[in-house]
Amino acid sequence: MNAVFFGILTILSLFIFMNLGKIKASKKQMDRDDRINWGSKRRSNVQQNRDGSKIIEGSAEEVDDSAQK
Amino acid sequence: MSKHSALNTFGRSGNPAFTRNFENAETFSQTERMTLDGAVNKTAILLALCFGGAFAGWNVPALMVPGAIIGFVLALVTIFRSPAKAGSTAPFYAAFQGMALGGITVFAEMQYPGIGIQAIGLTFGILASLLFCYKSGIIKPTENFRLMIFSATMGIALLYFVSFIMSFFGSGIGFIHSNGLFGIGFSVFVVGIAALNLVLDFDFIEDGADKGLPKYMEWYGAFSLMVTLVWLYLEILRLLMKLRSR
Repeated sequence: MNAVFFGILTILSLFIFMNLGKIKASKKQMDRDDRINWGSKRRSNVQQNRDGSKIIEGSAEEVDDSAQK
Repeated sequence: MSKHSALNTFGRSGNPAFTRNFENAETFSQTERMTLDGAVNKTAILLALCFGGAFAGWNVPALMVPGAIIGFVLALVTIFRSPAKAGSTAPFYAAFQGMALGGITVFAEMQYPGIGIQAIGLTFGILASLLFCYKSGIIKPTENFRLMIFSATMGIALLYFVSFIMSFFGSGIGFIHSNGLFGIGFSVFVVGIAALNLVLDFDFIEDGADKGLPKYMEWYGAFSLMVTLVWLYLEILRLLMKLRSR
């Protein structure tokens, strides 16, 4: 009886995992401001590249060493 | 041309490290990105390999120690050396850890018949119920939640490590292994922390799929879930043994 009950529990749980795992989490879970920022460093770099907000636009100028002397 | 030589060489950002990151992020196509389906399928593959290893360990309990040592080394290699190569290390980790779990379960079964299937049932029961709680938004992992779980996990690891070192000198931290109320309470606490680590794994996989991380992260996500499941199973087995020995 013990083996039957826990065996069914195992199979049922694996079935739930295989089906529920492939479904996207609810909006209540995903649309939060306090979500964990996994790998924030890498993604912030990507984000900076995409929106271009952190790039200073303008023309590059050559440094003239002789002018400083 | 000379005015923009830096831009030509390094791209829009002058920092070469940033440039490499941008290139990496842009080079993999949509089909090479992490998905929920892929992570779940890879977890299923690892679970199947773990069950296969457990079958071998169950029949040949001598495989328990080498399985545990090789599995532990493979886990360290996957975490610290090459997460990108988790696809080649994680399956071996699952198989070898399965051998260790099979051997441990045989010895537990000799003392307390029927305890193995109870531990397996409870482990997967917790997995399914916490997955439901996570997907439905009942449990919301935040940075504070992660900090709390991470601190508790590190604390438990340190306690086990100190206990392990002390055991070489014929001593130990007795209460964590006892079957008294304090020992059982400690085991319940550790099972709780191990279970809540599953929520962090779910969030890591969900976030990775949402942000479109590289495909190999599916293996890494599945591997992290396997590590937590192996730990949870061992802690549940230990808790059940304490309860049965009273």
